[in-house]
Amino acid sequence: MKTYRIQSRCIAQPVPAGWREQLARRLGGRPRRLGLWAELGLYGALECLERSKEQVLPAHAGLILSSRHGPARAVRSALDQTRDGLPLPLTFLQTQPSQLLAALSAQLQWRGDARFICHPDPLALVQLAMAIAHRLEGGLLMGWVDELDVESSVWLRLQPVAHQEAGWQKAGDFATLTRDCSHIRLGPDGLEVLS
Amino acid sequence: MKPVYLVGRALACTLGNSLDTALERLHSPVAPAQTPASGVSEGTLPYQRISGNATEGGWDARARSLIADVAQAAGAAQAHAGALFIAMSCQDGDAAEKMQRDMDFHALSGRIGEWLDWRGPVYLCSTACTSGIQALLGACDWLQAGLGTEALVLGVELDNRLTLPGFEALQLLSSTGSKPLGLHRDGLVLGEAVAALRLSSGCEAPWKLLGGANVVDGVQPTTASADAVTQMCRVALANCGLEATEVDLIKVQAAGSPVNDAAEAEGLRAAFAPVPALVSLKPLLGHCMGASGVAEIALLLECLEKGHWPRYPERADPALEVQLAQQAPANLRRILASILGFGGSHAAVVLERSAV
Repeated sequence: MKTYRIQSRCIAQPVPAGWREQLARRLGGRPRRLGLWAELGLYGALECLERSKEQVLPAHAGLILSSRHGPARAVRSALDQTRDGLPLPLTFLQTQPSQLLAALSAQLQWRGDARFICHPDPLALVQLAMAIAHRLEGGLLMGWVDELDVESSVWLRLQPVAHQEAGWQKAGDFATLTRDCSHIRLGPDGLEVLS
Repeated sequence: MKPVYLVGRALACTLGNSLDTALERLHSPVAPAQTPASGVSEGTLPYQRISGNATEGGWDARARSLIADVAQAAGAAQAHAGALFIAMSCQDGDAAEKMQRDMDFHALSGRIGEWLDWRGPVYLCSTACTSGIQALLGACDWLQAGLGTEALVLGVELDNRLTLPGFEALQLLSSTGSKPLGLHRDGLVLGEAVAALRLSSGCEAPWKLLGGANVVDGVQPTTASADAVTQMCRVALANCGLEATEVDLIKVQAAGSPVNDAAEAEGLRAAFAPVPALVSLKPLLGHCMGASGVAEIALLLECLEKGHWPRYPERADPALEVQLAQQAPANLRRILASILGFGGSHAAVVLERSAV
């Protein structure tokens, strides 16, 4: 299995005040037709890529997105609208998590393997991501986005690197990935990290 | 990479609550239920509902009963220490039914895991129509990486408060019937399905899952792209170490959409010359959205093993330059099974039958 360097992180948990203005500046205007959840995802993904000094996502990179609640506010709105008849077409589209994958593809000028997968334990998801990324030469952009409770957008950019020899430890919790460690790999007993 | 085999399959759909029943009704399919249109369309809309399943207990009780039966029929008991991959696009029908405010994917996957007494990790994939193929790809990667030796991929698409009204609002539904690649195709017919494919890297079986590809193209977030279809096919073949000439059959998305069927045909023509035999299960099942990839593969393999083939009475659209095959190809060895969906998502897996 490959070794990955955590090239950059965006740990916006919660997102900072003024994040929508920052996103609008980065995009050259306010995003249209996206719900709040998709905007949160765009904000964190673009911030993470900027920190890795990448303008676009490389062709052979992959994208994995996760969430507990997904576009929950759009679902609320669509359900409210169905009480009186049909949901608005745009509202219904915003209930689909895949719309954020499409928005990311367009903004990152990239066409490739993008997935929405949920698991309550982020480390279990990273473990699956390592298995998925095995064939992806450009590494992974991986994010957790939520709009309920705390508006958050947490992203990691993982770049495949040459095998690192010593100092590996079993990954204890997700905070290790978001704060301390520099490298990650799928070892024989699960996820391992290098600090 | 460890080889991954399809060791179990099961399906509950509009044709019946088992694959045996579905095959019995293959040539006398069930007329779709008619659902009253809500405003944009007039009259009624066909909907391929699962029949004979009590709904008194609400969405959760119905889902639990169907999921438990289908998982058991696919041999879930032999896999429940492995990984469970749930594919669905219908959100949490129970929460929607009760107008609960906070959709929660973790609660939903946890609930389904409990129904099945699942002991291993439970992942939930939700990328609209491609959810099932993405779940299969994830399970294949999980097994090939050696994270376990057993996995169950479960596709679930059941009537709920949002899907049918949402598609009606988008004006994507047919009021007449499903006509994949047909001259008179005029939209989708949605359907319900609960389907399961059990995968193993520890036991051999006649069909092997070689791998596949997933391509998201955000330029057209609500429609298929011919270029992305071509890329999906080429990447899937490359990932499986195959040439285009080594595919004998393509199970197409072909949901009967005037625009998307044309894009799919164009993409296939660019990836394959000539295009292999094509098969569609949507006239029989309807478009079962998040479950469609799993449901269509389960029914297709059952058809092939038992010597059945769907009938296509509708006239093909000559402008597409492709058409559905009237019989199974001789000496069939490899199938590319694809699904295209919202979010510019194009996904395919490649299946291989052991050499006879």
